[in-house]
Amino acid sequence: MDLALQLLFTGIGIGAVYALVALGFVLIFRATNVVNFAQGEFSMVAAYLMVVAIEAGLPYWAAFIVALLGMALLGVIFNLGVYYPLRHRTYLPVIIATIGASILLANSVLAIYGPQPQVLEGWFETPGIQVGPVYLDSQYLLIIGVTICLVIFNFWFFEKTLLGKKLQATSQDKEMASLLGISVSTMIMITFIYSAVLGGLAGILVAPVLFVSIQMGSTIALKAFAATIIGGFGDVAGAIIGGLALGVIETFGAAYVSVPYKDGFAFLVLIAFLIFRPQGIFGERVAEKA
Amino acid sequence: MRLTRRDFAAGIAAGIAAPYLIKGAHAQGATIKIGMCAPVTGPAAESGGYAIKGAKLALEAVNKAGGILGKQGELIVEDDQTTNPGIVLAFSKLAAQSDIVGFLGSIRSTQVHAMAPDVIKLGKPVMIGGTDPNLTHMGNQWLFRCRPNDSYSGRVIAEYGVNTLAKKKWAVLHSTDAFGTAGGKALTEALTKLGAPPVLDQGYANQSQDFTPVVLAIKQSGADILGSYFTFENDLGIFARQLRQLGVNIPWVGSPSIVNITALKLAGPALYNTYGVADYAEDSSEGSKAFGKIYRDAVKVAPDNQSSWTFDAVNVLAQGINKAGTTEPGKVREAILAIKKFPGAEGEYNFDQNGDGLHGYNIVKNDKGKIVFDKHIEFND
Repeated sequence: MDLALQLLFTGIGIGAVYALVALGFVLIFRATNVVNFAQGEFSMVAAYLMVVAIEAGLPYWAAFIVALLGMALLGVIFNLGVYYPLRHRTYLPVIIATIGASILLANSVLAIYGPQPQVLEGWFETPGIQVGPVYLDSQYLLIIGVTICLVIFNFWFFEKTLLGKKLQATSQDKEMASLLGISVSTMIMITFIYSAVLGGLAGILVAPVLFVSIQMGSTIALKAFAATIIGGFGDVAGAIIGGLALGVIETFGAAYVSVPYKDGFAFLVLIAFLIFRPQGIFGERVAEKA
Repeated sequence: MRLTRRDFAAGIAAGIAAPYLIKGAHAQGATIKIGMCAPVTGPAAESGGYAIKGAKLALEAVNKAGGILGKQGELIVEDDQTTNPGIVLAFSKLAAQSDIVGFLGSIRSTQVHAMAPDVIKLGKPVMIGGTDPNLTHMGNQWLFRCRPNDSYSGRVIAEYGVNTLAKKKWAVLHSTDAFGTAGGKALTEALTKLGAPPVLDQGYANQSQDFTPVVLAIKQSGADILGSYFTFENDLGIFARQLRQLGVNIPWVGSPSIVNITALKLAGPALYNTYGVADYAEDSSEGSKAFGKIYRDAVKVAPDNQSSWTFDAVNVLAQGINKAGTTEPGKVREAILAIKKFPGAEGEYNFDQNGDGLHGYNIVKNDKGKIVFDKHIEFND
């Protein structure tokens, strides 16, 4: 039982990271109908921005704000440089452009900062607390807390605010939204900014656990992408549930079946969903009439 | 001016032949070229930088001392991207340059396995740092190892843990790649011979983000000592932190990655009081001390095996070519195999007929972040 509790906590912690990145995938997909394969690199860039800001002498909280502002700027640049010029094309060129942007971001950081992995200290001085038989890593606690807050914020933002409803309207039907006087390009810009900040937040939160490295983004993004498919592509709740489920499944699979095949469990679940429920947990079945 | 068919044919012939003539002339040029596959990008990019620095420092020293066959040595580096396809591509690019006389491969066994078929096809000496014992026992006569192989590291870890630390209940943790699997097997065999078969033999996949299940398995096994073979420092850092956080404080004797600079930086206090088998330990010999000084002066960072093996590889290759008196691969091979009592940064080189230059390991301890030499264990069999 003690073992299961410890595994459950760790699984939820790592799953929350997948969920945060998956949320970025979903928001951009809903707004633009394309998958942003650079979402993982957003996490990596933010972690490096944080490291650079701290090295420059800023206190932790100020470095955090600088990193998130930097991500907002990256969201603007990404929208104008990668999505906007291709917005009238089919989804394929845009997806390829996001893959290209992901490679560009990774290599730009490599060229500017070098290949050295970096240590980013966590928010708390205490690494964790022991509650009965379970050790609660303070950084994982923070990640879980932030994920819960973001779920609540997203619900409030998209359901209760005018801006959130405009964003939803844009994601559902761009033409109709435009006819209703909503600036579609502004809404898409806001979505990119929000997704970049979310991805960045995930990167900053997970960096004290996984270290800051060029590869950190791609490693997380692959699992987050699987989480979005499991949860139902395009569904915010699905991204969260998918991420958490994936984290828990792979952690338990590793502990009770096989450690070397840990990643295998995640992708086995993904394949099972693609075969038996391709729309994911929360996705709606889409059919076309002949 | 009228262009005749003959002029045209001559022009085409000259155009086709020119690059080869220029290349041929260049081959006879002022330098002796050594190719190096190194991880400039990818997860091992940081240690790749150290490896390149080590090789360059050696070549500088060789050049100052008269060079190779009286010519200056030149290092040509290709990025292996820390991947198997990457090193195959990097090696093929270097192999296409006919004026390169010898090569430095990888410190990662899995990458050396990937490039090995091309090495046989090319038939030129390739110095390697990969420690999977099979690499020099699979009929590839062009691989020369400048680090002790894992049959020795396994035996040293086992001997130190069982006889010096007096621990019998072992957990063996290893990566599931070629290096980790071979290392884990060697350690398990050595422990079994010493009458202490492991209570846990646990593999893990590289680039894992979480080691909680592994740590809990170690905890549940009741092991009183841990032996490990980690390939990547990121993994080692994450594991070390989680191991200590989850309250496992048993003695830990690890393969050389446990004492390399990147791992020490990432894991910090989580690696304090651990032991490592180290092919490079600064205080283990005069050659090691000399390299340590040269490296510190030039790079301003503490040396480790990432740079020491490439330093030795260039020196051994240069010595082999100079002794052979030619760059003809077969003669260089024989000259390298004949090298005995050569004082390198990693220890004294005595090549055997398989291409293994070193036959023992150092035991070092992490004393609050400082790597302290304990003893050297050499094998004659």
